[in-house]
Amino acid sequence: MRRLHWAASLFMGLCAVAILMPIVVVSAAALNGGRSMVFPPQDSTFDRFVEFFVSEPVWTNALGNSVLISFSSAALAVLIAWPVAYWLWRVNDPLSKLLAGLAAMPFALPPIVFGVGLGFLWAFGGALGTIWAGILSHAALFAALPLVTISIGLQSIDRAHLDAAATMGATEGVTFRTIVLPQTLPYTASGFFFALVLSFNEFIVMFFVSSSSYATVTLQIFNSLRNGFTPTMAVAAITFITVSVVAFSLVARFGDLPRLMGADTSRT
Amino acid sequence: MPDLVLSDIRKDYGAVRAVDRVDLNFAHGELTALLGPSGCGKTTLLRMIAGLEDPSGGTIRLGDQDLTGTPAHKRKFGMVFQNFALFPHLNVADNVCYALTISGTPKAKARARAGELLEQVQLDGYGQRRIGELSGGQRQRVAIARALAQEPDVFLLDEPMSALDAKLREEMQVELRLLQQRLKITTIVVTHDQREAMTMADNIVVMSQGRCEQVGPPQEIYHKPANGFVASFIGRANFMSGRVRDGAVQVAGRTLTVDPAPKYLDGSAVTLALRPEKARLGDALPDGNRLPARVTFLRHVGATRDIHLDTPAGPLVVEQVSDRGGDLQIGSEVEVHLPPDAIHLFPAEAAAA
Amino acid sequence: MSVEATDPALAATGTQEAPARRVNRSLAGRIVFCAVVAMLCLLPFVMVLVISFGEKIEGAGWVFGFDLTNYRRFFVGADWPNSTSFLYLQKLGWSLNYAVIASVLAVVTAFPFTYFLTRLSRRAQTFWLVFLLSSLSLSEVFIVMGWDILLSARSGLPMVMQETGLTDWLKDVGFFPTLRDWGLASPRNVKFKTSVLATVLTMSYLVWPYAVILLYPALSRLDPALIEAARTMGARPWTVIRTVVIPSVKLALVGSVLLLFVFLLGTYVAVTVFAAPAQQTLAVSIYESVRGSTLNAPFGAAQSVILLVTAVVLLAIGQKLSTAGGRA
Repeated sequence: MRRLHWAASLFMGLCAVAILMPIVVVSAAALNGGRSMVFPPQDSTFDRFVEFFVSEPVWTNALGNSVLISFSSAALAVLIAWPVAYWLWRVNDPLSKLLAGLAAMPFALPPIVFGVGLGFLWAFGGALGTIWAGILSHAALFAALPLVTISIGLQSIDRAHLDAAATMGATEGVTFRTIVLPQTLPYTASGFFFALVLSFNEFIVMFFVSSSSYATVTLQIFNSLRNGFTPTMAVAAITFITVSVVAFSLVARFGDLPRLMGADTSRT
Repeated sequence: MPDLVLSDIRKDYGAVRAVDRVDLNFAHGELTALLGPSGCGKTTLLRMIAGLEDPSGGTIRLGDQDLTGTPAHKRKFGMVFQNFALFPHLNVADNVCYALTISGTPKAKARARAGELLEQVQLDGYGQRRIGELSGGQRQRVAIARALAQEPDVFLLDEPMSALDAKLREEMQVELRLLQQRLKITTIVVTHDQREAMTMADNIVVMSQGRCEQVGPPQEIYHKPANGFVASFIGRANFMSGRVRDGAVQVAGRTLTVDPAPKYLDGSAVTLALRPEKARLGDALPDGNRLPARVTFLRHVGATRDIHLDTPAGPLVVEQVSDRGGDLQIGSEVEVHLPPDAIHLFPAEAAAA
Repeated sequence: MSVEATDPALAATGTQEAPARRVNRSLAGRIVFCAVVAMLCLLPFVMVLVISFGEKIEGAGWVFGFDLTNYRRFFVGADWPNSTSFLYLQKLGWSLNYAVIASVLAVVTAFPFTYFLTRLSRRAQTFWLVFLLSSLSLSEVFIVMGWDILLSARSGLPMVMQETGLTDWLKDVGFFPTLRDWGLASPRNVKFKTSVLATVLTMSYLVWPYAVILLYPALSRLDPALIEAARTMGARPWTVIRTVVIPSVKLALVGSVLLLFVFLLGTYVAVTVFAAPAQQTLAVSIYESVRGSTLNAPFGAAQSVILLVTAVVLLAIGQKLSTAGGRA
């Protein structure tokens, strides 16, 4: 493999440090015993973790909501994305392109506008502040991610495989079940994890659709921001980073991450 | 099992006519090669036979059964694809018994059949392997076994050897031919390789620009090409232009006799085709049909050599056994003899491109 | 073109059973599905547009209507024509200002990083990608929290500079007043909260991993033979980058800046925390109108429409540029 020039490695290292800096600071703050967050930490203790996960209802409720919303919305996003991606791939007519454009739009435009619009929509439908409105909102916002990963997966299927299945007696439905679905499973899973992690971390849209009737962890942190930082918030941050790293490591483990990110697979 | 009959099959892609009015009869148990350069419509024709594409016109019949509108999955035609299209998420045995599994055959029975088929293609014991672990030749065997699993009425192969290296290709051609003869299954092979077609086929269909140029057994196609295209595509040929006069042909001011005599009107422009190995050089040449020539290039190809000549009728290549014909050097002045029974005549406009 | 190269769409229909029948059977399902997607993805934007022409009523509500009051207020102030105010245009100006600087900064620094990244082994790339994606998905809230700790006067960089004597050194060399002129220092120490610098840096940080992800496909598809060819012709590394690499990924660079720019137009948390009150953006103002103190949903909607139109116009320009570039 090619070796990088030392200056290039140094530059990459510096970038990594810059990226890590706020994360490290936040993590270190979690180990702070005091009520206010000071860096460097003064009195290390793991009490804050107990507070976040077990004892403090404000945080445990928020965590429960975050988990519920992110898992459900990611699953829903995949369910929305699959037909669109499949339709686009199979037929590729103007209607399917329009549909794919629609599904990608919320992610491509400033999220605050989508959040405001969803707020209006749910208020109009009388569902503002319900958990399922939050789930649907995030599903719509993040459907673009599984749409992209599943489309990449579908494009990686050799069309000759479909023809081969047909010559062996497979109807479109059977082909879908026995060829298309198994071959795109890693891509579907990747899309699910992308949507899951981003939903877990999303703030502004959830802020508009929750309408203060419930909080996710990010909302709770934002609400507490005005009163100054507490180490419990930093614990939340650590949890989130851990979830992200685990989720993306899983994606990398079971899927081809460079390819998903658009690298050319013809060379290694 | 009845014959497969195509009548008046056409395929248009927008304004482009990919296949133009093809009538073909594939006799039961025979192996037919669809041979032609890339873009001649042979793969499109095969895909229409398989049901993977709908013809724009015409009918496909198997005996008295009209299959034209029948989708691929109801045709029971086995097909081997160019890059084999083996499913990477299934192991070898699951690939082979795919057709059986999806039609609801009990698992044990499907397994047993897969084992049987793998044995036929000399891959017994490979059932549990993953596709990625196989070599090119093994993949092709799996593809063949898989296509045969449903005991197809017709066996279709699209450029089956193109993914293999040259040596393996020749072995597989023989092996595939033997298997086909053992199973007595109607088989259609698409290829652009005339040697492959000659090796395997009972009948060759030479195609060009969506049309069938000639249909016949390999020897007939080689020795009696129906037109200039076939003459140039199958084997090599020298071409000269001439004009018919008094039962002979005038070429560059010389009269060449042709056997049998030309069937064209006096004065019509014709193209003459002659295989390089039929032209003769040397001392003891028969009388007549000689052209003066000068050697421009010598190319030694193992057992034979090509002698490139410049003649009044244009450039000409002669193929000779290497140790015959004596010493020739570039620039040597010689005479070349064109045997009358080896010259094929075609109308001038139909000459090869 | 070869007539044998089969159109994938045509090839696909061949395996479908009698397409007309299938369409009938699943038509209803498709219509319902399209309606759901349209409702979730399009309707919110439509509602914003419709409500932007509505009217606020006393209390917290609003009614449908059609007048341009909200837009007039946006462009020339509520009291026009008696007096003119460009307050909201200024907010839009700040939105554009922050977003432009931050997105350009992110792309400019992400470009060399991504270039080096694509030269690494597949395994190392995967490792870096996991790292970047984790940082990318990290909530704006956490990032702002981290930077807030780092930049706040009590605990962060200013304190470190004070303690290490760097502040005094700055005072000694006479650079300190310059910092004060730039709004980066209080009378006693350097300060980053609130400042344009902190806002832009945080926003840039926010999208930096996105910038890498956006540049990654173009750079990783760059044929290494191209670079090697240039080098065999005697080009120095920097010349290679200038004459080969940058021209071939120019479109990706411009496209990335645009996408990040549009994304940053809606930044909320970073601006509220790091920007001075007089330098707040349209996103903050939308928030104030819809959920905050002022509670004027139609006006919030009108501001959202302006933001949306700005985003769409810029994306369209980007699209135009890239197709024009693609043809050239």
